[in-house]
Amino acid sequence: MSAPISELNFVSARRAVRVLRPDSPSQAVSLARQCRASYTAGGTWLQPAYERDQCWPENLVALNASWPGFWGLEDGSNGLTVGAMTSLAEMARHPLVRDYLPPLAKFLNLVAGPGVRALGTVGGNLIVGGDLSALAMALDVRVDVVGHAGVRTLPLSQWLRERTSEDLLRGFTIPDCRGWRMSLEKLGYRERFSPTRATLACVHDGYRLRLAVCGEGGLLRLAATEAFLNGWAALAPDDFGAVLDCELVDHGWQDTHVRMALRRMTTGLLSEVALGT
Amino acid sequence: MELKAQPGMAGTGVLQRIGGRLGYATDQQHIPGLLHGAILRSRYAHARLLRVDTTRARSMPGVRAVVTAQDVPGVNRFGIVVRDQPVLCENRVRYEGDAIAAVAADSPEQARAALEVIDVDYAPLPVVADADTAEQMSPLHGESNLVARDTFTRGDSEAAFARCAVIVEHHYQTPRQMHAFMETEGGVAIPDNNGGVVFRVGCQSGHRDAEQLADILGLKSTQVTVEATPTGGAFGGKDEMTIQPVAGILALQTGLPVLVHLDRFESCRAGIKRHPVSVVMTTGCDSQGRILAHRVDALLDTGAYASLGPAVLENFLDHATAPLYRIEAYSVSGRLVYTNNGVSGAFRGFGGNQATFAVESQLDALAEKLTMCPLEFRRINLRTADEPGSRGQPVRWTAPPTDVLAAAAASPLWVPAGAAARRRWLTGTGMAMGAQGNGLGDGLPDSGGGRVSLTAEGRILLEFGFADYGQNLAEAITCLVCEGLGCTASDIDVVLGDSRGPDSGPTSASRSSVLVHGVLANTLPRWKDLVRGQAASLTNLPPEELDCGPGGLFHNSRQILSYQELAEKGQLAPMVVDASQAFPVAPDQDQPVGRYLQLQIATVARVAVDRLTGRVRVTDLHHITAAGRVIYPPGYLGQIEGAAIMGLGMTLTEDMPTREGRYLADNLDQYMIPTIHDAPDQRVDVLDNTPKTDSFPVRGIGELGIEAVAPAICSAIEAATSIRVQRLPVDPGYLLSALCAQEKKRS
Repeated sequence: MSAPISELNFVSARRAVRVLRPDSPSQAVSLARQCRASYTAGGTWLQPAYERDQCWPENLVALNASWPGFWGLEDGSNGLTVGAMTSLAEMARHPLVRDYLPPLAKFLNLVAGPGVRALGTVGGNLIVGGDLSALAMALDVRVDVVGHAGVRTLPLSQWLRERTSEDLLRGFTIPDCRGWRMSLEKLGYRERFSPTRATLACVHDGYRLRLAVCGEGGLLRLAATEAFLNGWAALAPDDFGAVLDCELVDHGWQDTHVRMALRRMTTGLLSEVALGT
Repeated sequence: MELKAQPGMAGTGVLQRIGGRLGYATDQQHIPGLLHGAILRSRYAHARLLRVDTTRARSMPGVRAVVTAQDVPGVNRFGIVVRDQPVLCENRVRYEGDAIAAVAADSPEQARAALEVIDVDYAPLPVVADADTAEQMSPLHGESNLVARDTFTRGDSEAAFARCAVIVEHHYQTPRQMHAFMETEGGVAIPDNNGGVVFRVGCQSGHRDAEQLADILGLKSTQVTVEATPTGGAFGGKDEMTIQPVAGILALQTGLPVLVHLDRFESCRAGIKRHPVSVVMTTGCDSQGRILAHRVDALLDTGAYASLGPAVLENFLDHATAPLYRIEAYSVSGRLVYTNNGVSGAFRGFGGNQATFAVESQLDALAEKLTMCPLEFRRINLRTADEPGSRGQPVRWTAPPTDVLAAAAASPLWVPAGAAARRRWLTGTGMAMGAQGNGLGDGLPDSGGGRVSLTAEGRILLEFGFADYGQNLAEAITCLVCEGLGCTASDIDVVLGDSRGPDSGPTSASRSSVLVHGVLANTLPRWKDLVRGQAASLTNLPPEELDCGPGGLFHNSRQILSYQELAEKGQLAPMVVDASQAFPVAPDQDQPVGRYLQLQIATVARVAVDRLTGRVRVTDLHHITAAGRVIYPPGYLGQIEGAAIMGLGMTLTEDMPTREGRYLADNLDQYMIPTIHDAPDQRVDVLDNTPKTDSFPVRGIGELGIEAVAPAICSAIEAATSIRVQRLPVDPGYLLSALCAQEKKRS
């Protein structure tokens, strides 16, 4: 380390914590590696773990929303770029979201509570497979990741397969999806502020359907179901439910009732994007 | 009459509370010398304690005292009905919230750090996890895990069943519900420099707690004072003592004030819950729909300690006799058992609402078998206002039950179900009725008093021992006093919950309003006479020509003395009136049973069931209440609507399941109480036929709103889907599977 690092040390009631405050994204990546630290932004995912005294790192690297590209929404030639440290609330009320992702503002109202939405970031939500991740996956967003070798841009799905613990998500770019039809649905335990059982995203880009789900069974692009619905698989129409069910089971979605609900929710969303099955 | 919320209707207390500005006992962080207490809880649901070594904890920074069972100065047991719960466990822990040791330190962090280094050796014991088999397991206390068993009978139920044309039998299960109050358990114990202790704590009965605390602390009862401070909700969860014994022991050990405040995790783990109930009900009627026979076999899981379990069992069984309905013969039995599943105790409804869920579901099931309208089925079986109660006791209703039913039948929520096959949301309306008695019941000692006086500053002071935990009792009392004396609210001060003041008994069993009204009806005329006498002697006017009014005493509509002048010039000592009264019970009973003062509610629910996911959304609740006079409209609305939301939570989302004696949820992000978005539109109607001369025109309505919510929602679900739910909370997965099966059958 060439430059001194700002540190905040505190001893909580439960455990000692060291918060490192790097000056740049690249320094953050170095620190994460050297100190085996985790990144923290809104801290809303760490808080419950901390309060439960669960296992979590002794060192945290605090991210800075003023670093270029880490905050805000920008309309560009490649689509809509979203900084990872944009809060969920900021995203929900941004005018560009209305253009690109019409159902999202209303949907975000279902994500957590107002306090969590004010602090929680879209990047954090994406990384933990939160409610946004299904839509991001269905839209084939490309992520900008800061790593040892600099910044690289790659599809979200690829990054999730390959990522390392010190990869730092700077932001992501949603393709120009204005005019696409999309619908989102969350299955929780109550109307608001509920852990996600399943969130389903359904998108039609004018040529084909895209489906993705996140929740209890993990984030999943429903590729086989998409193939079936797009007519690429030679199966009878009645097989749609079976295809989806098999795909979910194969990827760890064990709860029968949630799968049953997802089958029916998919049907509902398909009719919302005016395609039907 | 529809009771509507009006702008500005809520008093300052309500606004302070919902705005987070009300000072709780645990906000008293600036008491000089204040120490912070923390409690070491068991790591096991059931274990023998082999060793508790506090050596390292005693040498930790900031630690002033570390106490274990050996340091309890008096009786190391507490409990309202059965004193079976140790303050600090001696050699055995019976649930994962059991207290083993406690620390007082300069800061909360130091206290908690000291807990970390208390060494405890456990020898785990087999966990009594299943209430069904608890009686066959090794006893957690005494000789058996059966805490209580009771049976209420009327007539020959077997013979009556033999004459039934239709019999239905179902198994109902209700969840272990958490109170989820805003303010978790806490308070301060302050040594009084004379060997005694003053407690400022969120609790439900300062006097009763003071008695138990004196025994635990080895003090005379006069050495213990409890100030029941305004509390952020209790709902029965602070009826039993919470932190008081430990705080008191630490305060005596250190000679300094000690604050103990459970965080939400500890509150979830150690706090009392609603009894889960498993009950099989068998009910039969003749071909015309007259109920002839009813049999109940119930099992209540009280957890590791009895708490108020035996009384909950009694109230459950009382409600299981179907107090609103005429039944020729019944045999209603229940058992209460110990397990290692936490501790269950008092909770709004007190077992009654669990029973009503099953009873009302049985009525719907019988009506369906007879292809009869469920409302008509109820009308046939409802008691008249003149009939004795279900246990043969005289009862006083405030309106005929058939009037309540008729009002429910006229609810605007009865619109046709929208069950078009391809529509996503299936809608339906259902209803249920419930009865709620006031008072502790079944001959339990039940009395309470209050006091009215004039202070040296000229304030009219009302003192009661009740605690205010959100019902805004002070404003209800103020309304009654203004009505009785003709004064204004600005003339009045109300002091509640101080064990040095009058003993009003516990703030529970929907009894406070009844006693407040009774005591004021007794004291206010006498106090008025005393005040008029004093004023007459000061003004030389005839006392019978003087009257109390806004700001002071009046003669011929002209104020002749302010209350302040009266206090300054008159003698204060004679202007104090105390009164106490026994809670009204049915006359002419050798051994009173059941409740004399009865209230009713009919709740009409409208729901939407998601055909895609099985999720239930309650869109509307319409309550028709017959609960006497409304003395404080915001309080009435708040109690009915608030209780209904608690009932909705119990019906749809709330449960605290256990595995091997351990709760599976530890905070409110896992335990799902309804949010404001889950709250339906509500309407509250009041039916009151109580004559003006009635001795008991005011009734307690703290629990009434929860009574019929669960069966009403389940009835509405059935109307929407043709599926009846008998296990709460409603499982969307169960509903979805049933809906899928229906669709498959149709196709």
